[in-house]
Amino acid sequence: MKIDNSLPLEYSTEENQLKVLGFWIFLGAEVMLFGTLFATFFTLVHRTAGGPTGAELFEITPVLIETFLLLASSFTIGLGIHAMRLGRKNAMLAFFGITLLLGLGFLGVEIFDFVQYVHEGATIQTSGFTSILFSTLGTHGAHVSVGFFWGLFIMLQVKKRGLTPQNANKAFIFSLYWHFLDVVWIFIFSFIYLKGMM
Amino acid sequence: MDFFDRFAIPNPSPVIYASMVAIGLTVLAIIAGLTHFKKWGYLWREWLTTVDHKRIGVMYLISALLMLFRGGVDAVMLRAQLATPDAKLLDAQHYNEIFSTHGVVMILFMAMPFIIALFNFVVPLQIGARDVAFPRLNALSFWLFFMGAMLFNISFVLGGSPDAGWTSYFPLAGNQFSESVGTNYYMIAIQIAGIGTLMTGVNFMTTILKMRAPGMKLMKMPMFTWSALVANLIIVFAFPVLTVALAMGTMDRLFGTHFFSTDAGGLDMLWANLFWVWGHPEVYILILPAFGIYSEIISTFAKRNLYGYKSMVWSMVVIAGYSFLVWAHHFFTMGQGALTNSIFSITTMAIAVPTGVKIFNWLFTLWRGKIQMTVPMLYSILFIPLFTIGGVTGVMLAMSAADYQYHNTMFLVAHFHNVIIPGVVFAMLAGLTYYWPKMFGFMLNEKIGKWTAWLLSIGFVLAFFPMYITGLDGQARRMYTYSASTGFGPWNMAAFIGALIMAVGFALIVYNIYYSVRYASRDIGSDPWDARTLEWATHTPVPEYNFAITPQIDSIEPFWDAKKNGQELFKGKFEKIHMPNSSGMPFIMGCIFFAWGFSFVFSIWIPLIITTIGIFVCLALRSFEVDHGHYITVDEIEETETKLRGAN
Amino acid sequence: MKELFPAKQVMGFVFSLILTIVALLVYYTDMSFTAGMTVLLITAFIQAGLQLIVFMHAGETKDKGAIYTNIYYGVFMALITILGTLLCMIWGYV
Repeated sequence: MKIDNSLPLEYSTEENQLKVLGFWIFLGAEVMLFGTLFATFFTLVHRTAGGPTGAELFEITPVLIETFLLLASSFTIGLGIHAMRLGRKNAMLAFFGITLLLGLGFLGVEIFDFVQYVHEGATIQTSGFTSILFSTLGTHGAHVSVGFFWGLFIMLQVKKRGLTPQNANKAFIFSLYWHFLDVVWIFIFSFIYLKGMM
Repeated sequence: MDFFDRFAIPNPSPVIYASMVAIGLTVLAIIAGLTHFKKWGYLWREWLTTVDHKRIGVMYLISALLMLFRGGVDAVMLRAQLATPDAKLLDAQHYNEIFSTHGVVMILFMAMPFIIALFNFVVPLQIGARDVAFPRLNALSFWLFFMGAMLFNISFVLGGSPDAGWTSYFPLAGNQFSESVGTNYYMIAIQIAGIGTLMTGVNFMTTILKMRAPGMKLMKMPMFTWSALVANLIIVFAFPVLTVALAMGTMDRLFGTHFFSTDAGGLDMLWANLFWVWGHPEVYILILPAFGIYSEIISTFAKRNLYGYKSMVWSMVVIAGYSFLVWAHHFFTMGQGALTNSIFSITTMAIAVPTGVKIFNWLFTLWRGKIQMTVPMLYSILFIPLFTIGGVTGVMLAMSAADYQYHNTMFLVAHFHNVIIPGVVFAMLAGLTYYWPKMFGFMLNEKIGKWTAWLLSIGFVLAFFPMYITGLDGQARRMYTYSASTGFGPWNMAAFIGALIMAVGFALIVYNIYYSVRYASRDIGSDPWDARTLEWATHTPVPEYNFAITPQIDSIEPFWDAKKNGQELFKGKFEKIHMPNSSGMPFIMGCIFFAWGFSFVFSIWIPLIITTIGIFVCLALRSFEVDHGHYITVDEIEETETKLRGAN
Repeated sequence: MKELFPAKQVMGFVFSLILTIVALLVYYTDMSFTAGMTVLLITAFIQAGLQLIVFMHAGETKDKGAIYTNIYYGVFMALITILGTLLCMIWGYV
């Protein structure tokens, strides 16, 4: 394996470069996946069948907390990659740890929010609107949950095996994934919550 | 016993029991054969755990051929039932099941793996690469496709086949009208195979964008590689839509959600909408690689470079864009207003323009060429007029006002078979014949091959052209019978005879393989067709590492120029080659996915949870695994090269 | 410590907070639907672009052409899917 030292560690082998590009292409597919969920959401948003509407369900406070947690985590994972490029392993691990804790906080608030919805009589079986609402939020939440474990595994590997080209590459790709989830959340925040409460 | 009741066939018949016995005997025969000839280890080492793109390509090919016959038997049964008015061969339920599985098997488990087989075998060789970008992911893609296909195929002996059509429209596909687990099979088996296909898309886009030999700029890529790049681009952006739609359909059926239901705010036509957002690009995923194959073959056997290379590339890129802009033409009669229909009508007709550009380019390539009428070339020459008729009837269907007459009639059935059979199937058979010597080291018999091509073409015309007439007269598709007073009888009898002729043609392919295995010469060299692109520049059989030295490219047809002008493709000396290791993980994950899908279909929750955990455990293990691959030493390369050069 | 907080990323974070607050105006003030949607569309897409360029380093390698083409193509097709679906399912029935 040829290692090119002029590039950051995560790009240093040919295989690493392939993986970064491949993951970007996969993110293109993810854009379409969430695009389809949004298309369905906008189609079904007013089809509440007598059940609760978005305006009745949504509360601004938990949504704002979720938004700021996720924005902050996107910032810290960026700092984590920056620290990695400086070769500061412990700082990197600290930033990754903070990111995952923020992600966990996000999930906590989201689950709390879901429980509230169910208490107000909105389950996934209530109406077309609630079906797609839970599915869209749930798909994003499932991505965050998978990301939590993925990030944890990468932290363990960096701790055990150090900042090798392979680990740096994994960490960088994970950061792409995490930023992407933030982007998706921005659209959920704007076009599901704020539009619904407008 | 209640637990086992769910596996019973809802609509049993002697044919199904006979199939059960046949499947059981086949499985036993395979197990006994493998044990008797002591081939289990060979199978595991060389095939089940392989990550070599050439072997994965061959496995895709075998699966596609098997599914071709499975779907073909369905087709003959359908035509037999319709051959005479008021026939009693099949009842309505069995007819529904058979046309549903025929469609799914032919599109998703025959045509898709067939083109992916050719991507796998040809693309890395054409761009001078050692393998695809992610070899292990490639193996996983194959096993997901394979397990999805197998899951779908056991439906007719366990629990019942899907019976809501290959499009599986709601509310028909909902629990109320499709009570058996058949539609669960549809939703979940296609989901598993679809995830595999999506990974293939990511893999091949990365491969083509990053792994081309030095000097091969994008505009110097062979046409088949271009078509593969564009088709994989469409895969990456179309398949997520199917993933979402199938997940919603599954949830509607199993968890009581209201996406496509007719009550509680669901919207049944949303399924049709999402299905075709994926479905229309899907047909271009199939046809563009077919165009790529024809381009290679026509240029090789006209002994001319492809006319209008740039316009060929651009027309494919334009088609890729348009393919996402036309989906509503599949439901012009849904009731949306004239404006919506007009928009989709115009975009649909516009696709004919880039397609026409390609047809003219092929004709200009043939013009004044020194045409060699080999079997692949014969398919290509038959393709041009037959496909053009299919294209023209497509423009007829594109006119939304006129579509009210054609919609859901046999006219439509005739149209899409007219583009898929001469378009895709002929291309795959042509590609199979063309690349067969590179894959297996001997050629298929030309004489039998020509008989096949002519029988398929004549059978095709006889089978499908009558449907244009009965369709215009109002024969609806998916109806299991009709009365004699309609006058459709003779036309449908003609179609049945056509189907039988095609069946003979397909049987001849098997005979051809058998005949050629026994009698064909093994002394054919590495370039039997006197071809033009890189895949013919390496040895036959292709060594594990494809090219001992990475070729240097400076033209569109590097191998041709090397042969004619004596340029040197392989400069430099041998260096050790890095190759990926084999792995059992993709196959094991495929098996877990099969168990996962099976538990899901029958709503057996505990195994479902266990297998879901199993899938994530596999992913986690993969994350922690350290696998740097292995090196092939210079000595080993020299030994292999000397041996292969001697063989030629 | 300072080297761990590069100005570019800190500024990016501050800017994304500002964009979020601007978007919140549609909730806290009385805006027409059109005005509100305009604000949301602008803030959401700037926010997404910010993540892509500042945080995700989309343009830092020689593959940036492929990366940007791929993402723009995805966003374009997603928009086509959303608008086309609305056209077929809701808007097209006049």
